[in-house]
Amino acid sequence: MRRVAIAPRPDWTEQVERLGFAFHTIDGETYWDETAAYAFTLEEIERDIETPTEAIEQLCFAFIETALDHEETLTKLAIPAAHWDYIRESWRRGERNLYGRLDLAYDGRGPAKLLEYNADTPTALFESSVVQWDWLEQAMARGAIPRGSDQFNSLHERLIAAFGGLRTPSPYRLHLTCVQGSAEDKGTVDYLMDCAVQAGLDARFTYIEEIGLLSDGRFCDGANQPIETLFKLYPWEWMFRESYGEALAGSRCQFVEPPWKALLSNKGLLACLWEMEPGHPNLLPAFFEGDPRCATLSPRRVRKPLYSREGANVTLMERDRIVDSDDGPYGAEGHVLQDAALNLFSADGNYAVLGSWLVASQPCGLCVREDASPITRNTSRFLPHYIEP
Amino acid sequence: MKRSSQIGLAAAGVVLVATVWSMTGEETQENVVYGSVSECLAAAQLSADQCETAFAQATAARLKDAPKFRSQVECEVQYGANGCNTANVGGAQYFIPALAGFMLARGLAGAQAQPLLPPTTATCPPGSRQPECQQARSSSSGSSGGSGGYVRSRAYSTTSGRGVTAAFAAGARGGSVATTSLSSRGGFGSTARSYSSHSSS
Repeated sequence: MRRVAIAPRPDWTEQVERLGFAFHTIDGETYWDETAAYAFTLEEIERDIETPTEAIEQLCFAFIETALDHEETLTKLAIPAAHWDYIRESWRRGERNLYGRLDLAYDGRGPAKLLEYNADTPTALFESSVVQWDWLEQAMARGAIPRGSDQFNSLHERLIAAFGGLRTPSPYRLHLTCVQGSAEDKGTVDYLMDCAVQAGLDARFTYIEEIGLLSDGRFCDGANQPIETLFKLYPWEWMFRESYGEALAGSRCQFVEPPWKALLSNKGLLACLWEMEPGHPNLLPAFFEGDPRCATLSPRRVRKPLYSREGANVTLMERDRIVDSDDGPYGAEGHVLQDAALNLFSADGNYAVLGSWLVASQPCGLCVREDASPITRNTSRFLPHYIEP
Repeated sequence: MKRSSQIGLAAAGVVLVATVWSMTGEETQENVVYGSVSECLAAAQLSADQCETAFAQATAARLKDAPKFRSQVECEVQYGANGCNTANVGGAQYFIPALAGFMLARGLAGAQAQPLLPPTTATCPPGSRQPECQQARSSSSGSSGGSGGYVRSRAYSTTSGRGVTAAFAAGARGGSVATTSLSSRGGFGSTARSYSSHSSS
């Protein structure tokens, strides 16, 4: 694993915009950053990223099996009791999932370590699937990287295939939704809608604020069309607590991601997995805050709210001193403490976190995000990667 | 190879989001839907004269307002197999979507009946197993009331292309009809508003 400085394409903004990439610059700051790229060997990709990603996904499934009937765990994860049965049913019906992203610490030496699982509402998808793929083709064509390079990235074809298999019979009608006012979220949903259309689905977009409730208990879109299957880039923990939360169970709607993903997109998962498999090579020691075993953690540790997005409210601590923290609105539901990763890649004053993608629970792609601090936030930059020939 | 062999972006699909979806006003008004004059009579909510008048109004409005096609195929692409029939408009022969029913605003005396057309294939794609599409595509449709709750639903479209799903309840008179109405809107999204933050990661 190397960080390789590469001259950006002179016309890179036009090149990425021609793909429909609208958020390459966020609030005036660079987000898509092709001044460098990360180079991996095929062995690093397959042995250290792909295989552990698959293993962690299987561990997560085993965790769900036991957690669903374990009220203490569901309580610790701050899942509202009113929705336990709803979640259990979604798992027992075998409702399929579309995608997720494991965030991993990895520096090319030793096993990758799980930092968190963005199982419910991951973004950075379009740039992973399409923009860096296009960068690779052009980088090889202009001789910036060796011809014959490759990329861990079959996201696009996997997404199309997965949409076709989420529900039977297929094709079916799919609604997709996200909040108003976020170019990044809308861009992600637009891309997924494109994939769904290519899968032959009758795909329709509606903003989450437009969703209504029909007199027969079903949800409907802004044009009052009933919603039967809904991809929502909106977290379960919010949906459970909002006013339509109580209408979920009677809505006859199949959600993507399914409700059982609420158990995984929760930092409490980190403590639960460590409890199940203490010493697992891809896990860092982690406990719920207040657990006496927190005393056994390394002095350099990270405090993470159960629910938080994009690094918000994450605090890196050295003994009791705060080394780095990110402000944010999260944390009311509790925290986990996790050993700080010792294998976070850093070079030239940048820290890199790997995002390992799963589509339909199959590992199939990688993204690298960089930040000037050890906490990856929503201001992090996205850098392309390639596999050296 | 560890990457996709090709990436196609169905640009038209992306454009569709921006052009097709616009906010429409909330439907708070209750409507009644009848599939035919006989269904209207069986429901016994309107007099025979009112049923006949409503049907005549809907028939005339359909001829005037429904989309007109030069060929049966063009019409059926939008309205499904057997969704169209021929009509003579201004001396020329056209194919237009069939009159599948008519809708009246409940309690609005003197309101014009609105024609209902078969659901568009966007709402009910060929082979759809959605219950409202089953009903809509089947040839028809006596008012076979069941007992208790919604016994069936049917999808239609308006002459302006909007979808209407009517739920047919088994009422006291056996076969009274009401559209599924919107109960509320906006029950999701409040957390995002309160955080004014990203909802994704």
